[in-house]
Amino acid sequence: MANVFAFAETRNGELRKIGLEAVTAARKIADETGGKVDAFIAGAPGVGAHAEQLAKYGADTVIVVEHAGLEKYNPEALAATVAERIRGGAYRIAIFPTSALGSDLAPRVAAKLGVGLVTDVTAVNLDGDAVIVQHPVNIGKVMATVKMTSQPALIGIRPNMFTPVENPRAGAVERAEPVGDPSASRVVVKEVKLGSSAKLDLGEAPVIVSGGRGLKGPENFKLLEDLAAAFGNAAIGATRVVTDEGWRPHSDQIGQTGRLVSPQLYVAVGISGAIQHLAGMRTSRTIVAINKDKEAPIFKIADYGIVGDLFEIVPVLTAAVKEAKSHG
Amino acid sequence: MKIAVCIKRVPDMDVRFKIAPIGNAVDEAGLKFDINDFDSWAVEAALQIKDKDSATEVVIVSLGSDSVQETIRKALAMGADRGVELKVARIPFDGLAIAHALAAELKGGGFDLILFGKQSADSSNGAVGAMVGELLGLPVVTAISKLELAGATGSAKREIEGGQEFVEFPLPAVLTIDQGLNTARYPALKGIMAAKKKPLDVRPAQLGEQSVSVTKMELPPERPAGRIIGEGASAVPELVGLLQTEAKVL
Amino acid sequence: MTVGHGIFILIVVLSLSFFSYNAQRLVRYMMSIGQPENRTDHPLTRIKNLFIIGLAQKKILRDAVAGPLHASVFWGFVVLTIGTAEIIVQGLFPGFTYAAILPVPLYEFYILSQELFAVLVLAAVAVLLYRRIVVKPKRLQGDKVHSGDAILILSMIGALMVSLITLGAFGFALHPDSSTIFQPVSLALSHVFGGLSAGTLEAGRETSWWFHALLILVFLNYLPYSKHLHVLTSLPNTYLANTSGPGVKGAMSYMDLEAEGAEQFGASDVTQLGWKSLLDSYSCTECGRCTAVCPANITGKLLSPRKIMINTRQRLMELAPLATGDFGEFEHHTLVAGEGGDAGDASASAALGNTLLDNYITEEELWACTSCRACVEECPVSIDQLDIINELRRDLVLMESRFPPEIQPAFESLEKNGSPWAFDPGDRAKWAEGMDIPTMAEMVERGERPEVLFWVGCMGSFDDRAKKIAVAFARVLQAAKVKFAILGQEEKCNGDPARRMGNEYLYQMLARDNIETLDRYGVETIVTNCPHCFHQIGNEYPQLGGNYEVIHHSTYIEKLMDENRLPLNGEGKALTVAYHDSCYLGRYNGIYEAPRETMKRALPMMTLVEPPRNRSKGLCCGAGGGRMWMEETVGKRINVERTEELLATGADVLAVACPFCMTMIGDGVKSQGSSVPVLDISEVIAQQLGNQS
Repeated sequence: MANVFAFAETRNGELRKIGLEAVTAARKIADETGGKVDAFIAGAPGVGAHAEQLAKYGADTVIVVEHAGLEKYNPEALAATVAERIRGGAYRIAIFPTSALGSDLAPRVAAKLGVGLVTDVTAVNLDGDAVIVQHPVNIGKVMATVKMTSQPALIGIRPNMFTPVENPRAGAVERAEPVGDPSASRVVVKEVKLGSSAKLDLGEAPVIVSGGRGLKGPENFKLLEDLAAAFGNAAIGATRVVTDEGWRPHSDQIGQTGRLVSPQLYVAVGISGAIQHLAGMRTSRTIVAINKDKEAPIFKIADYGIVGDLFEIVPVLTAAVKEAKSHG
Repeated sequence: MKIAVCIKRVPDMDVRFKIAPIGNAVDEAGLKFDINDFDSWAVEAALQIKDKDSATEVVIVSLGSDSVQETIRKALAMGADRGVELKVARIPFDGLAIAHALAAELKGGGFDLILFGKQSADSSNGAVGAMVGELLGLPVVTAISKLELAGATGSAKREIEGGQEFVEFPLPAVLTIDQGLNTARYPALKGIMAAKKKPLDVRPAQLGEQSVSVTKMELPPERPAGRIIGEGASAVPELVGLLQTEAKVL
Repeated sequence: MTVGHGIFILIVVLSLSFFSYNAQRLVRYMMSIGQPENRTDHPLTRIKNLFIIGLAQKKILRDAVAGPLHASVFWGFVVLTIGTAEIIVQGLFPGFTYAAILPVPLYEFYILSQELFAVLVLAAVAVLLYRRIVVKPKRLQGDKVHSGDAILILSMIGALMVSLITLGAFGFALHPDSSTIFQPVSLALSHVFGGLSAGTLEAGRETSWWFHALLILVFLNYLPYSKHLHVLTSLPNTYLANTSGPGVKGAMSYMDLEAEGAEQFGASDVTQLGWKSLLDSYSCTECGRCTAVCPANITGKLLSPRKIMINTRQRLMELAPLATGDFGEFEHHTLVAGEGGDAGDASASAALGNTLLDNYITEEELWACTSCRACVEECPVSIDQLDIINELRRDLVLMESRFPPEIQPAFESLEKNGSPWAFDPGDRAKWAEGMDIPTMAEMVERGERPEVLFWVGCMGSFDDRAKKIAVAFARVLQAAKVKFAILGQEEKCNGDPARRMGNEYLYQMLARDNIETLDRYGVETIVTNCPHCFHQIGNEYPQLGGNYEVIHHSTYIEKLMDENRLPLNGEGKALTVAYHDSCYLGRYNGIYEAPRETMKRALPMMTLVEPPRNRSKGLCCGAGGGRMWMEETVGKRINVERTEELLATGADVLAVACPFCMTMIGDGVKSQGSSVPVLDISEVIAQQLGNQS
């Protein structure tokens, strides 16, 4: 019987999607052996209201830790609390998100408990006493199958791999106090700046929409800005030709002499695919190319290509992406 | 100030990998190795502190076989003062085991800062730095993209999803470095020659128990040759569909 | 002995002593500050250059206006020196004249030569003064050139010529029986003086003589302080110029990285330059021809090869007197134009703390250079400006790791992948898939040996456009039934980008790896379509022990045509083609005709049109010197400048013989919104393969 602990990440009191993914993953594992899923949520007073949502996605119990000192991410207090809770809980697996917060928290917990941790996990299964996970290595060029034998095994799941599935359970709320005094933490988060004012960095953006000479002029980058806004999490890049002409700032340049990027999705608009540009983006997971020249080298590296006039295609794509995102 | 920087020797990622006959490792024949990118930024961060205060000592620590000496020498060529090799036959996958070995070496070393790269390009768990901090009982801040030190305290910026977090911490501390903090300096020939004479100690690594191991490595299915799915705006719906179902990026 | 005679002897002794003092001082500065260099090789080539470039003024004459003018003054100078000697000896031994020792016809020839050249020089000087003062050509401005110095010198030369003629004129007027038609101008002038009294004439003659003699001595002693020092140094400079034989003369200097106790790599100051670079700086006449042909300068960058030379001399003269103890702790002032640091830098300690790099020559200037060699090609006194630029770059990279940040990925990729781009080395031979081209490894395994090794290079291996050139040339080789192989994955970058960007360490690493591979296969003959690979492996690898016969594909194709091995269909449209000369093929290796010839022979109906700047005056495409990997943010893009010129010829096709030129000109054409095709010569020829119908 495998009991699973799922850490539900919150931000600003809101439950993040990956929290539901963690619960879904936990539920799947627990169901294989008739075990229980304990979701864990912590934050400022009021965060416990999300227990209902967690129950809807499969939590048998929701451990709620509310404290003013946990309003912002409080690594030391949270690590101590989570570790203590896991220690007392006889879990097979404890699931964390692979995120800025999760990758900061999980290692601390693993070290405190003296157990194993694998992050960026794309699949998890039980095998006897062990836990078997899939974990991409070598910048995603190789997939490793990893065996974990510690009790529990800590894993960090990759976002967007465990699509949340509704699977209602009791979700009994269990209130708990933070371990130690949250205000005594040495590492203190002073301020969090969110929102569109913080321009998404090319190195971090999961989606990059990039423009080349085909856009014909700086004013036409508005098309790409609209497309990026439709994606919601996209940054805008440019080729060297474009930045040399002064249409976009040099910091936007992707390529040999600019930024080397590796997003989940790279949309190359009006880019021919010169060697210097390819060198900067070819490790992108999925590449889409839009260009009117079907012989353009970019089509050799793109997973999906559309040949045609970008001025016609991009607005249509923007609308379609917006539509798809509003349902997601 | 005394700074330790923990670095890892990783293979060059620009190649197509092959799986070794043993099945759970990558074939190393013909691979070139170098210092992990994130770790080189950690070395650079330490050196920038040293640029401002030449009394700073920067110590490079790396776990691995004797082949890591070349990597340590590169960090020395960049400007670090001395190096330590914690010798093992093979670098384990289990981050906690590595963390135990590093913590044993760093404990009692009187370091004001212990720096790591956020994650290694090969095993990519991004866990060892924070684990070492925890084992040493030191404050830890991970994935920093901006750093300021003022005496016994520091402040850092962390890039989080769709925003930034500003953190303060006391010294001594363990920090893991993210992309964007700096660009690693290119070692001048002058530095390469000086590095040959800098001290590099070799000690056996005291690995902890290992509960995590790689049982198999596989190549993901070949990136299928790109295909042009259509012409003009009429191809857009199919593209969006493929992005949702096949590529799963939407 | 008269008082005048005695005074003259005294003046001569003092003048010559002062001159000797300065001469030895300048030589001592050069030899004690500069690094040792051996310039005794190839004496016959050196003598040939001395005659052709020095005495025959071949490079001076490249400028159609100033050329003949200067040549006139120079040849005049040479001829008139004979007369100058006569005058000085006359002063020391009154009554001396060549008439006493030469047979009459020879003497008459002598005095006629003096007269004609005096007039020629005077006329030339008048035009040159007009040019300087009124016309003010662009290349004579800028870089803080010492125009006052120039005008002074021209005036002095003019005055010397005038005094020579008046000397003759007054003489003839005084003693009409001594007049001769072999001094026609003096003779004519003497008639004008005819009406003056004997006393006036005598005074006029004496004055002319003294004025002329003293001015010569003044002129001589002014030289060390002037840009006209070149009068004394240019011929030796031409003799001692870089020449290790044709082709190799473009090679960068060898650097021993393993040398015991070597602490300085490259140069940050004049003390680390070779003495020849310092002699170069003495010889610079500030004519600006180098700067006028520099592609960077033409398009608005800060770089000026002339400024590099002026700065080097300034820095040398700032440091040397202090370093050699000549002026010790004295306040060191700017003495005359050309001596000492920039006006205002007075204190000795400031002078000692300065360096050529940064205090005089900035990083920005150094990185703007495309190493096209136009400056070296153009310099009439055989200065090598590129040597200094290269040595300073070496210091920046090897000692200080200071270089444009965008080239760091290229360095790192060269080190890791053996190519300047982050492509999988395993993909190197992918372009050849399906073409049945064996690798050396495969051939050797079969127990065979190729006729030639086709060295493809990184562009041909990884750049999509350049891959087509590799394919085209391979097809040409196959059509000619040449047995060839490629190195495939064993090929590494020849190292030119690293070397040109100053990273000698990385270069030698790559070169040694390649040499080891080539030697292992016993390769003797290599053919390549990339002029950079061609130059590097053929001319610079011997420094590291790699000796191979390397042929550029244009020359090789010509050879195949000569041997009738290339089946061509002799058809083709009546196209006009403009060929863009590659710097590394042209100025570096003197190959201008082969690319043109091979195209003409393959495409008999073709007409070749030349851009105004062609062959040794061809404008660089902008990619050399590692600039392919650098941002170009200042001024006009060099490739656009060149492409405009090529398109202005109205050609149907632009032809190149280098993959870098292909990229740069191709980009240039696109930026002009033009659709004129840019083809490599092998592509032009490959289109004509087939049998004569």
